[in-house]
Amino acid sequence: MSLASPQPDAKGRRGGGGRHAALARYIAKRLVIAIGLLFGMTLVTFCLTNLVPGDPVAAALGQRAADDPETVARFRAEYGLDQSLPAQYVAYLGRLIHFDLGTSWQTHRPVSADLAKAVPATMEIAFGAIVCAAVIGITFGAWSAYRRGRLTDQSLRLVSLVGISLPTFWTAIVCFYVFYYRLGWAPGSGRLTPGVAAPPRVTGMYTVDALLAGEWRTFVDASAHLALPTLVLTLYTVGLLTRFSRTSILEVLDQDYVRAAKAKGLPGRTVFFRYVLRGAAVPILTVVGLAFGSLLSGTVLVESIFGWPGLGSYAYQASSKLDLLAVMGVGLVVGLVYLCVNLVVDLAYGFIDPRVRVGR
Amino acid sequence: MILTKNLRIRAAAVIGAAALLTSACGGADDDSGGSGGGQTGGGGGSDAAQIVVDTTFDIKTVDPGREYEPTGQILVKALYDTLLTFADDDTTTVIPDLASYESNDDQTEFTFTVAEGRVFSDGTAVTAADAVFSLQRLQGLKGNPSFLLDGVTVTEVDEMTLKLTTAEPSPALPAILATPSCGILNSKVVLENGGATDESDQAEQFLNETSAGSGPYTLDKLDAASEAILVKNPKYNGPQTPAYDTVILRNTEPATQKMNVERGDSQVALGLSGDMIDSLAEGVEVESVPSATVVFLLINSDAATSAVTAKPEFVKAVKAAIDYDSLLEIAGRGAAQATGLVPSVFLGALPASEALKYDADAAKAAAEAAGAAGQKLTLSFPNDIDPTGLNLTTLAERVQAQLAAVGIDVDLAPAPFATEVDAYRDGKEQIGLWYWNPDYMDPANYLAFGPGQTVGLRAGWPAGANTAIEELVAKGYTTGDLAERKTVFEEWGKAMNADGPFVPLVQPGSNVVYQPTVTGVYYNPVWLINVAGLSPA
Repeated sequence: MSLASPQPDAKGRRGGGGRHAALARYIAKRLVIAIGLLFGMTLVTFCLTNLVPGDPVAAALGQRAADDPETVARFRAEYGLDQSLPAQYVAYLGRLIHFDLGTSWQTHRPVSADLAKAVPATMEIAFGAIVCAAVIGITFGAWSAYRRGRLTDQSLRLVSLVGISLPTFWTAIVCFYVFYYRLGWAPGSGRLTPGVAAPPRVTGMYTVDALLAGEWRTFVDASAHLALPTLVLTLYTVGLLTRFSRTSILEVLDQDYVRAAKAKGLPGRTVFFRYVLRGAAVPILTVVGLAFGSLLSGTVLVESIFGWPGLGSYAYQASSKLDLLAVMGVGLVVGLVYLCVNLVVDLAYGFIDPRVRVGR
Repeated sequence: MILTKNLRIRAAAVIGAAALLTSACGGADDDSGGSGGGQTGGGGGSDAAQIVVDTTFDIKTVDPGREYEPTGQILVKALYDTLLTFADDDTTTVIPDLASYESNDDQTEFTFTVAEGRVFSDGTAVTAADAVFSLQRLQGLKGNPSFLLDGVTVTEVDEMTLKLTTAEPSPALPAILATPSCGILNSKVVLENGGATDESDQAEQFLNETSAGSGPYTLDKLDAASEAILVKNPKYNGPQTPAYDTVILRNTEPATQKMNVERGDSQVALGLSGDMIDSLAEGVEVESVPSATVVFLLINSDAATSAVTAKPEFVKAVKAAIDYDSLLEIAGRGAAQATGLVPSVFLGALPASEALKYDADAAKAAAEAAGAAGQKLTLSFPNDIDPTGLNLTTLAERVQAQLAAVGIDVDLAPAPFATEVDAYRDGKEQIGLWYWNPDYMDPANYLAFGPGQTVGLRAGWPAGANTAIEELVAKGYTTGDLAERKTVFEEWGKAMNADGPFVPLVQPGSNVVYQPTVTGVYYNPVWLINVAGLSPA
């Protein structure tokens, strides 16, 4: 992102219209770059998936079927595996232009349809986790920095260290064991209790869809199932955000302009919220964005333990069975998520920090 | 003012947190109280309205002509009747389901008469034309289970009669026809929805959304990632008496399955390993039997792969070096030594007295004669698959230690299944640790281990390598008389134990854990469990 300030117009004004045009140009530029990045990503994913030793035909077909040349030939022809690798890649790109990610040879369904089911499931816990983690983590980080060196600071640093150090799968098992198995406070695995029908699909996120459909009972059930996996992911991310927020805020606290504000006699809270927190917001926002991307793509074990049919579970199944088109589909979605998150974060910089403006 | 505002914010935060907690806890309470669909679940047990079965999914499809995975078999068994079947508590005798049959003396012609009055879930009568369409479709799709009917010609004789003919005697055919993949579809409905008896068939998606069979259940919902819901077929008029209105099969990790079934949130758990069974809480039942999966060592007989493993003395050394009893400690509850390649649930399985035996002195002598000293060999195996809950890495480590004790030095070469399976199928492994699940309920499955057969070739054991065993293989494929067939398979098993390049190790335990509120739990080697046979205690 360009850090140059917008140039003043003939009358010396830094016009709002010009700023909007610059913003539009910036977004367009980022989108063009994103398309290039996505293209590169498909190439890298394609090469990597095809470099993996092992024949996907052998992995996909049963022991007997894989010994039948006719069945193997049909399978290769059906999925285009009888073509050269460059031809396969070109064919993949050709389909991609029409938003066709191919057919998974594990589920026998379009990869796009599989992802349309899996992504909202993961989004639901990731959204919940990142919102909770951001609120708690930044609060803890700020509090810790504000009380630097005191018992509060030491305690919060310890808490964040523990949060980061605990493997999420372990936390997931412990939480499931304690809150579901021992205490019975939380429901069992899955997105809904057996027998509760999923709400009519709009977003694929059950809580949202249930609200839209006015199905309160389903909403409560879906929320209850969401609580534990969200809690587990929140615990880890809180640790990360607490530590990072603390560090960022401490750096800003030592800045001259903060000292100047204090010297002018501004109340401590005003200085903290108006100057310190705002100054530290850009790096914190960056980490929040990255953490969100990480939550979307890295929840395999948590999803397994909670029987959550999300992107992580799908990615694991696809990669362990050499389901190449599904693996590429997941890679593409994760890449897209990171690109979108980065774009949103970059745009948010401008709103948070007046020093950061888009140049013409 | 500021204080008031802060107080408001704090109060809102507390109320919000309380609401969230209430929502979560309320949801849990709500579960135990039951919800739609006549559910009793949550903290409650099962009644005739609904039963929840937890397992680890591997579903690709529930189209009978295409499915060939364990979870798919459970579902298809409940959705589609077959011409013949097996009783829940007997895995050796084929019985009529949709049809009765008779065969000629040399077992090359099988004539089936469809039972009068049987209907599909839409109420239309099951006819021979439906059976012919279904079996020809299975053959023509060229999918995973198509091999089941290789070399079989299916013809319609009249409205209620069909004939299956084979060029060679095929005594295993009745057992094959009991496999869920040979389920009979409503041909009219399937044809209307893109069905065909060749590769142009487009009915899979339709069959993954709704079933078209005459089985005790119909498909209500299939989500291959999370759950399948079956509802009782109101038109079902077959011999079974399904007790539950709804069967929910959920995709759940084994550790979670254990907690779910212990708490009563599920009534049946199919994926617990032997060691998990030992730590089960009181209040649940376990059906624990040796599975039909045989875990074995493959020793390559091709000198081009290894001059050492190709020596008969080396095979003898390995067979005598294994302390089979100690392997059972790893395998856990329900496991048994594989007495031969044919597992104990099938006709022709060897008695324990014929099993391979541990003899360290004999093993050392044979290893020395084979020139194994100073040779570094490789033991390859898939490390991301636990056949019936048995951890192959732990087993491989134990085997490695036992071989080392008699002077055979092996390096372990674990790899993901998808990677290792190529080397296995291409016959490139020096020593392999693998497993074999039965495709259908007949010992002929296991003749694939013979010289020149599918698995035999993977061990570098071509046709002509052992003519005596090859003769027994031929007899196994063609002998129809049950008593004679038993003898042939026992002879074959003994010969394989003596001279074959395979070391049968263990049959891992099949452990089905269930709530005492459920009865009718039986393990089946092919479809694992018949959900239509489950009923409230």
